[in-house]
Amino acid sequence: MADDKDVLRDVWFGRIPACFMLYPDEVTEREAEPFYLLLPRISYLTLVTDKVKKHFLKVLKAEDVEEMWFEYEGTPLKWHYPIGVLFDLHASNTALPWSITVHFKHFPDRDLLRCSSSVVIEAHFMSTVKEADAFKHKSQVINDMQKKDHKQLWMGLQNDKFDQFWAINRKLMEYPTEEGGFRYIPFRIYQTLSDRPFIQKPFRPVSSEGHAHTLGDLLKEMCPAAVCQDDDPKKYQVVIHGIEPLFETPIQWLSEHLSYPDNFLHICIIPAPND
Amino acid sequence: MEAWKSHVRAALIHRDCLQKDPFSGLFTKMSRLEEMLNLQMGVWEDLEIDRIQSPNTNGVLQCPVEEKNPLKLYLQLKEEEQVRQKLAQKVSDLTSDLYLKEAELQYCHSQVSRYRTEAVLLARGACCLKNDLSEYEYKLECQSKQLATLQSEQRSLREELALVRQEKEELLERWLEEKREEAERINKHNAALEKWNSYAGRLNRRLYSGPRRQTRPTTNSRVIQRDSADQPSTKQD
Repeated sequence: MADDKDVLRDVWFGRIPACFMLYPDEVTEREAEPFYLLLPRISYLTLVTDKVKKHFLKVLKAEDVEEMWFEYEGTPLKWHYPIGVLFDLHASNTALPWSITVHFKHFPDRDLLRCSSSVVIEAHFMSTVKEADAFKHKSQVINDMQKKDHKQLWMGLQNDKFDQFWAINRKLMEYPTEEGGFRYIPFRIYQTLSDRPFIQKPFRPVSSEGHAHTLGDLLKEMCPAAVCQDDDPKKYQVVIHGIEPLFETPIQWLSEHLSYPDNFLHICIIPAPND
Repeated sequence: MEAWKSHVRAALIHRDCLQKDPFSGLFTKMSRLEEMLNLQMGVWEDLEIDRIQSPNTNGVLQCPVEEKNPLKLYLQLKEEEQVRQKLAQKVSDLTSDLYLKEAELQYCHSQVSRYRTEAVLLARGACCLKNDLSEYEYKLECQSKQLATLQSEQRSLREELALVRQEKEELLERWLEEKREEAERINKHNAALEKWNSYAGRLNRRLYSGPRRQTRPTTNSRVIQRDSADQPSTKQD
């Protein structure tokens, strides 16, 4: 069990070094220096980039400043996806630090949601947690919680407090021993080469015969192309939190330990690098 | 530990070795230096404002706190203030951590008592199952003994059956022998009867063909009667 808690800590304290650079076409009073920041994998871009905004506002004219947004190699980065997912999906095989371009103009309304304040992020986060609990416990656990518990979950994430967050989140990870897992596993599968934003379907952690389902079982059902045959060369990488878990890993354990704070298991399927 | 679990753990450590550890120290140091720079810039701006507001005759920079204090001391003061703020924040964080740990401890205690109850229930269940098992073992033993008795009984019955079958075979043979002998006897009897009949026929023919009457043997009275029935007597004619 101690090892399992270590996994939770490793997941929580995962960091990505990033270099924020102002988009060259932005009008500045003087040259903008890049800003370096260690981004928490589990957080959201707009939640941890106050310093970035402050840094670039020093060199920008007030009248040229609109809503800040980020882009990586031409792809606008969705702030409502966890940072770890964005990195694994778009930049996992590139050199570090991760170069992110910062924009203050021409907000891409077709690609991104607007995020005027941290209240919007909180609302998005809480709605995702509720959605996940609807899968896991028919919303019973989250509905039984008090308002202050919800606040503690959010504050834990916002202030990067592992203990504060997990003091409440552990209730969302409980399940009856005799059932062997949650009702359904809340997961989202992202693919770089797909038009769909993600795959999300109900999937039980235990088969009708009573066997524990694995990551391989989930992928075979939801995205068979990601599971290569024994003889075939590996075409895709299945990445969660920057690692590739073995296909025989039970999905219930993954959901309990490798879920993001929103309680969803975000799985990225990316093309394998050709070395 | 299961292989998949140790794989996840090792992969997470490896990931941090590649992504976090090489940059962590550098980025922390840089952020600290930026903080210091901001602080110094702030101090500088304060001094500038103060100088503009109250420039002395010589145009020498003066400290806002006290004229005697040098600039270095003022900066140190600001730094100390910042450190104090950080320490106060740290103390507040540690206090809230302490509360959380206490809550976690309570939760752990409740989990322990829950698991203890579960363990007691399981132990009771195990005890019941053990009793059932010993009962079944006893029943099994009884049934095995019964089976052994029945098997020996079956064996003796089979032996008896074999004897009875042998006896039956012998009796059958004897019965067949008897029947064969009886058939022979009947055949002999029939042959004798046939002889007697032909003899009686001859005698009848002689009797009715010749004037002389002979006395008929009493043993062949039936044949004579039949003959008389078959052949209408001359008296009636």
